[in-house]
Amino acid sequence: MALTMLAPSRTSTSSSSSNVNPYPQVTRQNTFSSSDGTRSARTSKRYSVTALYMSMHAHDKDIEIEDDLARVQKTLRDLKAKISSQSKKNFVLEKDVRYLDSRIALLIQNRMALEEQNEVASHLEDSVEILEGTFPSDQKTQQYGNLFFLLQSEPRHIAALCRLVTMAEIDALLQTVMFTIYGNQYESREEHLLLTMFQSVLSAQFDTTPEYSSLLRANTPVSRMMTTYTRRGPGQSYLKTVLADQINSLIEHKDLNLEINPLKVYEQMIKQIEEDTGTLPSNMPRGISAEEAAENPQVQAIIEPRLTMLMKIANSFLTTIIDNLNETPYGIRWICKQIRSLTKRKYPDAKEQVICTLIGGFFFLRFLNPAIVTPRSYMLVDGMPSEHPRRTLTLIAKMLQNLANKPSYAKEPYMASLAPFVHHNKARINKFLMDLCEVGDFYESLEMDQYVALSKKDLELSITLNEIYTTHQLLEKHAKELNKAQDVSHLNVLLAELGPAPAQVPRKENRVITLPLYSRWESAIDDLTAALDITQEDVCYMEAKSTFVQLLRTLPATSPAVRKPLNLTKIADTAAKMRDMGMFRKGMRALELLEQLRDLGVATDQDGYLLLREEVEQELVHLGSLKDKVVEETKKLDEVYKTIRDHNTYLVGQLETYKSYLHNVRSQSEGKQRKQQKQTVLGPYKFTHQQLEKEGVIQKSNVPDNRRANIFFNITSPMPGTFVISLHYKGRNRGLLELDLKLDDLLEMQQNGQDELDLEYVQFNVPKVLTLLNKRFARKKW
Amino acid sequence: MSSRGTRREYNIVVLGAGGVGKSCLTAQFVQNVWIESYDPTIEDSYRKVIEVDGRSCVLEILDTAGTEQFTAMREIYMKTGQGFLLVYSITSLSTLHELTDLRDQILRIKETDHVPIVIVGNKSDLEEDRAVSRNRAIHLSQSWGRVPFYETSARKRQNVDEVFMDLCRQIMRNEAVLDETRSERSEKKPLGKKKGFCLIL
Ligand SMILES: Nc1nc2c(ncn2[C@@H]2O[C@H](COP(=O)(O)OP(=O)(O)OP(=O)(O)O)[C@@H](O)[C@H]2O)c(=O)[nH]1
Ligand SMILES: [Mg+2]
Repeated sequence: MALTMLAPSRTSTSSSSSNVNPYPQVTRQNTFSSSDGTRSARTSKRYSVTALYMSMHAHDKDIEIEDDLARVQKTLRDLKAKISSQSKKNFVLEKDVRYLDSRIALLIQNRMALEEQNEVASHLEDSVEILEGTFPSDQKTQQYGNLFFLLQSEPRHIAALCRLVTMAEIDALLQTVMFTIYGNQYESREEHLLLTMFQSVLSAQFDTTPEYSSLLRANTPVSRMMTTYTRRGPGQSYLKTVLADQINSLIEHKDLNLEINPLKVYEQMIKQIEEDTGTLPSNMPRGISAEEAAENPQVQAIIEPRLTMLMKIANSFLTTIIDNLNETPYGIRWICKQIRSLTKRKYPDAKEQVICTLIGGFFFLRFLNPAIVTPRSYMLVDGMPSEHPRRTLTLIAKMLQNLANKPSYAKEPYMASLAPFVHHNKARINKFLMDLCEVGDFYESLEMDQYVALSKKDLELSITLNEIYTTHQLLEKHAKELNKAQDVSHLNVLLAELGPAPAQVPRKENRVITLPLYSRWESAIDDLTAALDITQEDVCYMEAKSTFVQLLRTLPATSPAVRKPLNLTKIADTAAKMRDMGMFRKGMRALELLEQLRDLGVATDQDGYLLLREEVEQELVHLGSLKDKVVEETKKLDEVYKTIRDHNTYLVGQLETYKSYLHNVRSQSEGKQRKQQKQTVLGPYKFTHQQLEKEGVIQKSNVPDNRRANIFFNITSPMPGTFVISLHYKGRNRGLLELDLKLDDLLEMQQNGQDELDLEYVQFNVPKVLTLLNKRFARKKW
Repeated sequence: MSSRGTRREYNIVVLGAGGVGKSCLTAQFVQNVWIESYDPTIEDSYRKVIEVDGRSCVLEILDTAGTEQFTAMREIYMKTGQGFLLVYSITSLSTLHELTDLRDQILRIKETDHVPIVIVGNKSDLEEDRAVSRNRAIHLSQSWGRVPFYETSARKRQNVDEVFMDLCRQIMRNEAVLDETRSERSEKKPLGKKKGFCLIL
């Protein structure tokens, strides 16, 4: 949200960064870090208060600002909300697909008993949009509202829980934590609370790991948590920015072989010779050792240029990554920063290299490299890369990983040929990893956000019954350990009141609940002055400033009052004379504030309130550039939203495929018992070459361009799960080719990563065919 | 030299959670070296010629990533692998739990229950940190139909050769059976039926 963006005009000029990051780097002056505990000069406090006022008055119902900035900000807010809710949907769908992936494979192999088939079917049947609902009693609503307020505002509880749960429990917990409790991915308060939670989880991890070499290495709930975090909106858009173009241009070159393992090169070489000549020369035996292969001059000659090429490619990956330092999501950089400071604290003599290795262990190993080696799982590419590019990508990832770690070539000696890459870039990468950590802390603004949240009084959470119950169950299950760890008296009171955790409800009965959050222990703050420990003058000054900014944003552009140089009294007067009640009240208030400032001796009308006027003007300039930034950010987030929606389409398509497959299997086995029902034939449906090409169904065509317009396809489904595709040439009666297809076969191909369906003249893309068939031949009857 | 041509080649895949010692185990076996440092693996491949029961064979060993973010790569390994070392660390129970999913995935991809597998409990030198009892692993091995189980120490080079040899023997025994099923499957009809095309564009 706009809180930090609206930050003080005086410092903003120096801190205005041009990135998409909604949390611009806070200047030192404006921050106090928790580690040294010292508060910076009192001025900083005042700036934060400005921010606070600005943000609070943005919620002002008195007048609604409707300038361009307000409009683009609204668009951006809506977009962010959509991304947050869509990525949650995807997370849930992904879980379903993962579950069905394994089930379907068993089905394909006919290894599933009938009851289990039914269970899978019911799982699928129920996966519909969850309906809205409410708790039967207000009391439960209140109790859970209080519980989730506590969980949200005191991240330590969730942090403790994350460390206690098993791998089997973590996914359910993460869904609730990352996509619901802190689900608003672009809301700084929720983001900051989530990061605070990370911090305590990480620091516990450092405390319990005996030596740094094994730090953050095992697959634990903590590592799952970090990865899930990287897959939220900002992480996704970053990966797309830095990797998508690079990877896509690489995989276009399907035949580019950059294998440098001498053994593999040698084998490929003799295979080629054998194919070309039909025999194998006697001086080229099979099954030679790695050393022999490496010494073979022909092998060396093949490898030499490949090394150069690989280093060039890896270098361009690296350069893009480094150049995009500022695009790296704040939260990810902040995690890097925590890793650095925890390492320094726990191991005071740790060398920079050790710290870099640990940061690299997160940033490269868990974030970038997985996306490089399996780009399809990250929606960076459309299809599965073919063999050669896949190997190249693996080599690139290995090179980057070697950079971040201290490389040892003991394992694969041939990697030593790439040592120059490591050598040349070592300093560069270490600097980059250190630069990643250079982001401001957020504690002060978080403190502020918390106050704002409390004063807003309308916090709520959109959460499902099952999310509530799972969380409740986990708290209950781990209550004993939670109690050992820290003070949980409030938590205990709430859990005692709630009683035993209810069981999960069946999917059909699951509901989305809008849970109003409140706390019985903290009353909403009315007196901010007291709460924030600031003086009357400060408050008055800030309110005056924000009031004038609002007035200026609301007054018509034609009004003489907005002309520069500004005359504050004239502005207030003009507003106070307007008919609009909101403006009238604001105008009166502005006049009142000016008077108070005079009385307090903070400003004088002798110089036309010079200081205040200047600050108001600067703020307006700042808001002007803010608009451009907001527009730019909106553009980028539009892209992200599109990716997330594409992914959603893909997941939904996958589920649909499984549905029809299952339907098919079941109707077949039913058919054995009952008489075969009369089946209606669907189709034929006609598709032109052009149409299928556009939809990506045809991924390769041997049909000459000038003939394509004459080619069309007919697809018929004589019974569920069976399709006949025929290829026709305009004006001819008989088809050129006919293909019987069973859904099972297509699914099996997909399971095996086989993307091509060969139709002689054209090649179909298997996943795209599946999508097409599902769309066209959906047989309702579930 | 000509005997080389007749050597059998076997693909072995080393799987298991991050940090359990897959790479150390493999490096000890292949190169007789102990690696103290910890470089997380993305994918490394090795070759070693060994003598098993008088027959010389070439082992192609793929050392994989334990880091869970790389799981999407597994599918391909499992397809090409003929035998699997499933490694956990005796100092961490959750690493043993991770083996179950791995085995399920292997059986699914291989479409058979007879896949050569050895369960390996590594870091046996760290007795004082033991978190997985032998019994626990033996129990797992029995529930999988008596899959061979060893405790190893890559650091002390204990039982290292044994696990690879055992796996190799299993693959050899399995070979005949596998060959049969494979030829059966290749007789299975190819995808769909194409019929009647009569015009060249
Ligand atoms: N004490 C002891 N330590 C071991 C043993 N095997 C490995 N280690 C240590 O455990 C750490 C990790 O070993 P690796 O072989 O790199 O682990 P890995 O399973 O390959 O890990 P990934 O590649 O990330 O999946 C290293 O620091 C090793 O020194 C062992 O048998 N005993
Ligand atoms: Mg390894």
